[in-house]
Amino acid sequence: MIRNRGTILFLNGIEQLLRRKIVLTAAIATVAFLGLYWWGVSAASSADLSMGHGEADMAVAMLGPEDAALAAILTAGPLAATLVTALIIVIGSTMLPEEIGQGRMPFWLSLPQTRLKVYLSLGLAPLAVSYVLALILFGGIFVITSIYFPFTARNIPFVFISMLAWLTVVWAAVMLLSLVLKKIASMLIVFFLSSIASLFGGLYEIMKMFPGDTPKALETITHTVIYVFPADRGYRGVLYGLIPADAVITENLAFFGVTASVPSLHLVYAFFWSLVLLSIGYWKFRRMDF
Amino acid sequence: MEKDILIRVDNISKSFRKVQALSGFSLCVSSGSIFSLLGPNGAGKTTLMKILLGLVGSDSGSVTIYDLPVSSPLSRRNVRYLPENVTFPSWATPAILFRQLERIRHESTAEEFRLRCTELECVDLMKRPLGKMSRGQRQRVALSLVTAGKPELVLLDEPGSGLDPGGRILVRNLIRNLSSEGATVLINSHLLGEVERVCDTATFISRGRLIAEGELDSLSRQTGLAYIETGNAENMKLSLEKLGYSCRIESKGVVAQLPDPSSFPDMARSVLDTGIRFSGMNQMRESLEDVFLRIMQNDSEQGDDIVS
Repeated sequence: MIRNRGTILFLNGIEQLLRRKIVLTAAIATVAFLGLYWWGVSAASSADLSMGHGEADMAVAMLGPEDAALAAILTAGPLAATLVTALIIVIGSTMLPEEIGQGRMPFWLSLPQTRLKVYLSLGLAPLAVSYVLALILFGGIFVITSIYFPFTARNIPFVFISMLAWLTVVWAAVMLLSLVLKKIASMLIVFFLSSIASLFGGLYEIMKMFPGDTPKALETITHTVIYVFPADRGYRGVLYGLIPADAVITENLAFFGVTASVPSLHLVYAFFWSLVLLSIGYWKFRRMDF
Repeated sequence: MEKDILIRVDNISKSFRKVQALSGFSLCVSSGSIFSLLGPNGAGKTTLMKILLGLVGSDSGSVTIYDLPVSSPLSRRNVRYLPENVTFPSWATPAILFRQLERIRHESTAEEFRLRCTELECVDLMKRPLGKMSRGQRQRVALSLVTAGKPELVLLDEPGSGLDPGGRILVRNLIRNLSSEGATVLINSHLLGEVERVCDTATFISRGRLIAEGELDSLSRQTGLAYIETGNAENMKLSLEKLGYSCRIESKGVVAQLPDPSSFPDMARSVLDTGIRFSGMNQMRESLEDVFLRIMQNDSEQGDDIVS
């Protein structure tokens, strides 16, 4: 039997989240997404791409199932990422403010436990729910793809860690902002940051391919975005770990920064930065009057 | 005695930006008492209650419960709090809420919760979602959740909120039962009639300052009215009016106006001289509402003097 009050509060938070319509909607969207993906991939697998005699057709004929798998994953990945990001932003920005707004926070805090436990255990619930949803989505993409286009992923353990790094950054940012801004403002800011980080994350990869050719100002902005909101590093790590190890077109895409590897240090930085944001959030929470 | 003091508030001050919520406030609450915090809106009562639970930090001074500073989670051991406007999730049933709560506090059993629900007449609501309950039903469920088991200190912020007269009687009985079980109960309420019926001690707060405190009996003054309980009220009224007293018939007796509060013994002799049978006679005391208004009026006048 679990006796740790913080763990139990976390489990209560999970139970509370699972009963919310937004989580149910996300679960339905996940099932629908995977169903559509299954349908699309199965249809693509039955198509005969080796017909014709032109140069392009010859090039297609050289591609294996791994390349088809890569294309499928790179098509579905951003959509899945958007769904998970939207969910974590919505539930992450409402968890603590709702407990406060509905008057339940004084109730939890009047129990014999520290504020840190309340902050972390209630706050961790949205991260856990989003992480599980992301695992189902990307796990589903992996399983469905490998059924129709058998392939070996580059690094599955790296996917788990990168996914956690990606979601932790978004979660920590939204937790902090939800304590200082209105819900809608915190949601919009983090969504904006996620989009910008994704854009500049891509630019960063391309810039790596052309060292010295990028305008200094753009380089500075790109690095600043990556350091201030390192969520994109985690997301790219997910894609990197998931894609086939031996697809023919991988190298070509790597040239454009699509399938480039993410150094582990970037993930460590993402976790460190999340901890910083989380600490600032707790500092604010500890000083709040309820 | 020192060991009987459960809550000790020593010279605390708290301000929210430019609003001084509490100023140099000190208070001691004895173990086992039913204690009420009284004062107008914005006096600082809820702020004080929240400071006791560590929900709001004081700017200066010290607060201890069980001799432990309120910053320590241990000071909230076996302490229960019902906030004024708590909203539990609408999907949750009382049984689920109790399970969630008890997993954290480990202080009461399901059977004890059931007993409390029985006491507050909400045991048949155990499996009904809170979203499908009336406000009064939700309040009774919340009170059952908070008071289940054997708490040592119970802080109730407007416990009668949303309750009908029947519900208020149940809450009154609950508070008495808690006290008889050894709990110290601290109530913040504007329902002075309810407070008067259950509390034995009161503290009056105005503009963040303690302006009066003590046992309810010692706070209320004798009034210039006497009540004579008799089955022959009409005759008693006529007889007393002949003697110069201004009277009215009320309930099962006669209320007589005394020339001054100290003349009650003279009037008592007059009543005996009438020869009319009566079953009781007493000099009426101020109601808590009268005490409240008097104390607040005095405070307001003093405040005006200071300003002028």
